[in-house]
Amino acid sequence: MAVAESEFDLASRRRRRWSRHHLGQAALPYGLLAPTAVVIGAVLGYPLYLIARLSFEKYGLFELIRHKGTWIGLENYTRILHDSQFWRVLLRTVVFTAVNVSLTMVLGTAIALLLTKVSRFVRYLLTAALVFVWATPVVVAVDVWRWLVDSQFGLVNWVLTELHVGNFVHHDWFVNPWSGFAVITALVVWGAIPFVAITIFAGLSQVPGELIEAAKIDGARSWNVFREVTLPLLKPIFVILISLSIIWDFQVFNQIWIMLDQRPSPDYYLMSVYSFVESFRLSEYGLGSAIAVVMVLIMFAVTFVYVRQMVKAGEVH
Amino acid sequence: MKARFLVAAVLAAILAVAATTASGGTKKGQADKIVVWLQDDAKNGWPEAVAAATSAFQAKHPGAEVDVQYQQWPTHLTKFDAALAGGNAPDVIEMGNTETTKYMAAGAFAALQAKSFPNAKTWLGALKGSCSFNGKLYCAPYYAGARAVIYRKDYYRQAGVKGTPKTLAQFVSDGKKLMKKFGKDRNFSAVYFAGKNWYASMQFVYDYGGQIAVLKNGKWKGTLNSPQAIKAFTVLKGVVRSLSRAPLTVDESHPYPSIPFAQGKVASFVGNGWEWPYTLDAKVGNPALAPVMGAYPMPSHIKGRYMPTFLGGSDLAVPVTTKNKGLAVDWIAAFTSSAQMKTIADAGNIPNSTKLASYTLGNPKVEPFAKAAKFSWFVPTATHWVDVENANILQDMCSQIFSGSKTVKAATTSASNAITRILNGG
Repeated sequence: MAVAESEFDLASRRRRRWSRHHLGQAALPYGLLAPTAVVIGAVLGYPLYLIARLSFEKYGLFELIRHKGTWIGLENYTRILHDSQFWRVLLRTVVFTAVNVSLTMVLGTAIALLLTKVSRFVRYLLTAALVFVWATPVVVAVDVWRWLVDSQFGLVNWVLTELHVGNFVHHDWFVNPWSGFAVITALVVWGAIPFVAITIFAGLSQVPGELIEAAKIDGARSWNVFREVTLPLLKPIFVILISLSIIWDFQVFNQIWIMLDQRPSPDYYLMSVYSFVESFRLSEYGLGSAIAVVMVLIMFAVTFVYVRQMVKAGEVH
Repeated sequence: MKARFLVAAVLAAILAVAATTASGGTKKGQADKIVVWLQDDAKNGWPEAVAAATSAFQAKHPGAEVDVQYQQWPTHLTKFDAALAGGNAPDVIEMGNTETTKYMAAGAFAALQAKSFPNAKTWLGALKGSCSFNGKLYCAPYYAGARAVIYRKDYYRQAGVKGTPKTLAQFVSDGKKLMKKFGKDRNFSAVYFAGKNWYASMQFVYDYGGQIAVLKNGKWKGTLNSPQAIKAFTVLKGVVRSLSRAPLTVDESHPYPSIPFAQGKVASFVGNGWEWPYTLDAKVGNPALAPVMGAYPMPSHIKGRYMPTFLGGSDLAVPVTTKNKGLAVDWIAAFTSSAQMKTIADAGNIPNSTKLASYTLGNPKVEPFAKAAKFSWFVPTATHWVDVENANILQDMCSQIFSGSKTVKAATTSASNAITRILNGG
C-alpha cells in the first residue's frame, strides 16, 4: 500500500513537474507578450472600443457637454450608406490609394535599383537625400510644398513660365481638383519613397550574386533577371511594403488638411477628412465615428489578404 | 529595431497622456485660477487691453491667476469641443456672434446676469441679440467689426482717381484706372479679393436685394440662387476677375490682405477695421504707409448708399463646466468695461457700447467703419447656422464662381440646397 502510494505519488509528481515545466514553456511567449498586449490594449483597443460604441450613438454637441450619448443602433450606418457623398469619397479614396501606392512602389524600386548601380559616393549622396526626406516632419513638408505651388510667389509657376511650358502666372493649382490632387499625390509619394527605396535596396543586397550571374549566363536580359530572380526573392519585402503603403495612403489626412488651410472643399475629401469634418466641424461625432469604423473595416479587409500571404510566404522559408 | 521603436513610441504616448492628465490635475487643484480663451486678434491688436483687464481683475481678487490662451478662428471650435469632452474647457471663451447660437442651444454656456457687466445698459443691439437665447443672457458683447474699403491715397492720386467712389460703377471704373497704371506688375491688385472671402462677397448679395436663406412656415430655405443673388455674383465675378490677382482658393486670412498691401502690391481691399493698424504694425506690416492710408465705406450699386456690411463681432461666454463662474464673470466685466473698450476701439474696432459712439467717430481710423456699420446684414439666426460656416459652403461657392470651375447658377444652386439641408437640422 505504502509502496504503491509512494510510487503513485512519485509518478504524479513527476508528471506534474513535467506538465508544469511544459506549461511554463508554453506560457513564456505569452508572458513576454503580455506587457505589450496590455499597453496596446490600453492605447489602441480602448479608443477603438469607444469609437465603435460612439458609432451606434447619437452624439452631437448636446450629448458632448453631458458626456452621454443616446443609443440609436445602426442609424448612423444606414445614413452614411445612403449618402451619395460617402460613396463618392470612398471611390476617390480607393483610387487615390491605388495611384499613390503604385507610384510609390514603382519609383521606390527604381531608385533602389539605381542605388545598386551607382558609385559608392553617389550612393551615399542619394541615401543621405532619401534619409533627409524621410526625416522631414509632414507639417514642414506640406508647408514647403505649399510655397512651391503658391499661386503668387510659387517657384513652380515661375519655372514653368520661364521654361515657356505655358502661362502659369497666378496659376492656382487647387482650382481644378485633378491638378490639386496631382500636387498632393506628388507630395505623398515624395514623402513615402525613401522608406520603400531604402528597404528594397537592403533587400537587393541580400540577393545572392551567383543567382543573377547564373541567370545572365543562361542568356537572361536584365529585365528578365529582375522579374524572374530578384522579384520572387524579394516578394516578402514587397508584400509588407505594399500593405504598409496601403495603410498609410488610405488614411492620408495632414497633407490635404494643411495644404488647403484646414478648409478643404468637398472635392478634396478623402475618408479621413470626411470623417473629421463630420465629427469635429459639424459636431456629428456618432456619424463621424461610423465613417471611421467603416474605414477601419475596409483597411482590415484589404490588408488581411496581404498579411495572410505574408504569413504563408514566411512559412515556406 | 522596429519593436524597440514601437515600445518607445508607446512609452512616449503613455508619458504624454500622463503629462496632460497631470497638468489637468494641477489646474483643477487651483481654485483661484481662470483660463481665458481669446482669439489672436487680441494678441495682435490690443494686448494692452488684456493686460489692463487682468490687473483690474487682480486688484479685486488678489492672488487670482489669469491664464490667457490665444486661439485661432479656423480651429477654436474644434478645440473647444474637444476640451468640453475632455472636461478641461476654459473658464471664459470668446466666440464669434455667428457661432454662439449653436452653443447656447446645446446648453454649453452658463446663464449670466446683465447687471454684472458695466456697459450692459448700452450694449450694441446686434451683439446683445447674439447673446440671448430663450429670453436668457448667455454671454457678454465684446466688440463688433464692420468692413470698409482700405486704400492707398497715393496710388489713387497717381492713377488719376479723384476722391473716393460714390457708386459701385465708379468703384469699378476707378479700379480699372488703377490696373491700367500699375497692372504691369503681375502681382498688383487694384482690389485684392481672396477667392473664399465670403463676408465681402455676401455684401454684394445683400446690396442687390438677395439673402442667404429665408424662414418660411418654420422651415429654412437657401436663397442664394435667387435672381437678385445671381445678379450680384455675376457683377462681383467681373470685379474679382478684372481687378484682383489674389489666389482664388484661399480665404481672407491666408495671407491677410494687409500683407501684400504693406508690400505695395495692393491699392485697396475690403477689410475689417483692425486691419488698418495691423497693416502699419512694424512686425507684420509697414509703418511708413501711415500717411497714405485711408478707408471709405463700400459704395452701393445705388447712388448715395453704402453696401450693407457684415456686422461681425465677438462675445465672451462662460462655459457651464467652469468651477470659477464668479471669477470668470468678474474678468469679463473688467475686460468689457469702457476703459478697455477705448483701447479696443483705437485698434480699429467698434466698441460694445453705444455710449462710446462719439469716441469712435472722433477717430478717423474707425469712423469709416462705424459709418459702414449703420447699414448691415447678418447671417440667418438658425441654430445650425454655424454648421454652414464650418462646412465651408459659402467659401467653396465663392471660389467656384470666381475661378469659373462652376457657373454662377450651378454653384449657387448647389450651395442653396446644402444650406437648406443644414439649417433644417442636417
